[in-house]
Amino acid sequence: MTCHAFCMTFRFDSSRISHLACVFLLACTWGAQAGEADFSAEEIARIASHGPWPMPSMRDPGNRVSGNPAAIRLGYRLFHDPGLAANRKISCATCHQPERGFQDGLATARGLQHGIRNTPGLWNVGQQRWFGWDGGHDNLWSASLRPILDPAEMGGDAKRTASLLRGQSELDCLYRHAFGKAPDAGDDALLANVAKAIAAWQETLVSPATRFDALREALLRGDGAAVANHAPALRRGLRLFLGRGQCATCHAGPLFSNGEFGDIGVPFFVKPEGVDPGRQGGIKRVLANPYNLLGRHNDDATRNNATATRHLRPEHRNFGEFKVPSLRNLKYTAPYMHNGSLATLRDVVHHYSQIDEDRLHSDGERILKPLHLTESEIDDLVSFLEALSPETPMVIPGPPARIDSCRGFARRSQGKADAHAASVTSHVSRNDR
Amino acid sequence: MKSRRSRYGVLRRWIPLFLLGTVSTIALAACPPNEADGSLLTSGKLQLAWRPLLQGDTPVATTAIPMARHFALAVQLCEGRMASQASLKRIDATMPEHRHGMNYQPRISPLGDGRFRVEGLMFHMSGRWQIEFEVQNGNDVSRLLHDVQIR
Ligand code: HEC
Ligand code: HEC
Repeated sequence: MTCHAFCMTFRFDSSRISHLACVFLLACTWGAQAGEADFSAEEIARIASHGPWPMPSMRDPGNRVSGNPAAIRLGYRLFHDPGLAANRKISCATCHQPERGFQDGLATARGLQHGIRNTPGLWNVGQQRWFGWDGGHDNLWSASLRPILDPAEMGGDAKRTASLLRGQSELDCLYRHAFGKAPDAGDDALLANVAKAIAAWQETLVSPATRFDALREALLRGDGAAVANHAPALRRGLRLFLGRGQCATCHAGPLFSNGEFGDIGVPFFVKPEGVDPGRQGGIKRVLANPYNLLGRHNDDATRNNATATRHLRPEHRNFGEFKVPSLRNLKYTAPYMHNGSLATLRDVVHHYSQIDEDRLHSDGERILKPLHLTESEIDDLVSFLEALSPETPMVIPGPPARIDSCRGFARRSQGKADAHAASVTSHVSRNDR
Repeated sequence: MKSRRSRYGVLRRWIPLFLLGTVSTIALAACPPNEADGSLLTSGKLQLAWRPLLQGDTPVATTAIPMARHFALAVQLCEGRMASQASLKRIDATMPEHRHGMNYQPRISPLGDGRFRVEGLMFHMSGRWQIEFEVQNGNDVSRLLHDVQIR
């Protein structure tokens, strides 16, 4: 219950003198101050399901070098090395720029050719079930191999990869350490191994806790004072997100994604006259991929990690569905959506507010209705979304520790690594123009 | 002499384990089903008990299925005190309000004695899900429905 004291002033005239009188009124409302009142037990239970953060880290059972220090260092070096690409100018970091939340700020990616999809950020990438906007990969290492081989992105191959590793003694040493053999272009496992090393490094990218996480903890502790310290707009936005907005139906759990796919009416036409089939194509791609979890490169002998792939079920509605993205760290990863078509979080909230039901599939979601939000409700929802990013820019992860027995090599190849870093930077600025 | 005694020792160790094994199979195939078999649905004489199993076969209540995680089901079909001869033909689940079903195709394996194991289910959104069990007994097909609320 919240109470307010009002002073109501009355002016009344008696003969020639005006009098001002103040009458104090006590007005009380039962939790009626929309959005700012305490959260209900039901709401708190739902808020609790969006944590804890960070989630407990788990090794990838399908990747035998997950957590292996030599592989993590190798992965870091390769991620920043343009030598994997056919033109020796593009590295993973060209598009996944560490200082931009590991994306490029462009609507759609530019590699050897122009792409049709937005580059996703890579913070917390290891926590997903499906990779790519269409979920065309069922594991992080095969998603990391795709750009190396894709003629539109890096256009690399096994031969180039093996000679890159052999040509830099630290890389060669790290590879031998992680995989127990020399990098060999004729080895059927070479590309999978390289991708597993890059994946092992990406698994270490876990973003810090946010204002939302602090609010959640305060609510679970029952610390009313700490809860009240959070901006009212954030709290109102959170309530809207869980309630009328129904956002958490899809943006669920600690990552704010259920890891599945949906159609929210973002156009999927691609210039000049194509369409992006989204999940429909993704299911086909994942099943055709020799590096999927049903294949021999999966290091989990039990194949328990392949349940999702084994039980895939194509449906008509998959056409035009895209992955439900995580909502963490969005402050650093504009523009938004699979095609980068929305520039700001405000644009995204406008999209949901005015959603065009005719654009949704006839057999699509019935939960998306235009929300017709007021300007202040839009502000609230944006405040909430912003509270899912750390307030200070995230620390760019530096190189992982060196491996003792590859140490001598590291010093010798360090000069080369710096040269690569410089070329990455110059490519970034070219993209900016 | 020495070797014979040690062989007996091994046997002694295994007998109780073996007994435990039979007891627990009997318990699993017990009809009529009890709470340990999960939630109960009936259609005429047919009783169907189902229990969700999370990773590592950890059983959970039918009211506590987590959202967006794969789970399996243990299903027991009974007719009174007898295991039913009917078979679980199909299992599916939909969200009636959203007008869509699951993104995954469950698979059924018969285990004998009216028991079945279903793999590969996932409720990927919060809200009401309706599970449908299709059971065939000779020419008779019955559909048993159960609603669960996923948070
Ligand atoms: C030309 C720009 C470009 C380059 C270079 C590039 N990527 Fe990407 N990356 C993308 C785009 C675009 C997507 C989305 C692809 C899709 O939806 O099919 C993506 C998706 C991914 C994903 C899936 C992320 C998710 O959340 O689903 C991973 C992992 C990834 N890239 C890692 C890498 C690695 C590792 C490299 C270097 C070997 C690399 N990328 C090189 C643009 C690029
Ligand atoms: C039916 C499931 C569903 C619901 C409900 C839903 N979303 Fe989404 N959301 C998605 C999907 C799918 C995408 C990606 C669509 C695309 O790229 O085509 C998305 C994208 C987004 C993005 C862009 C993120 C990025 O990295 O590009 C934001 C922000 C977002 N949603 C916020 C919300 C908010 C706020 C609500 C509630 C008003 C909401 N969503 C409700 C499924 C959903």
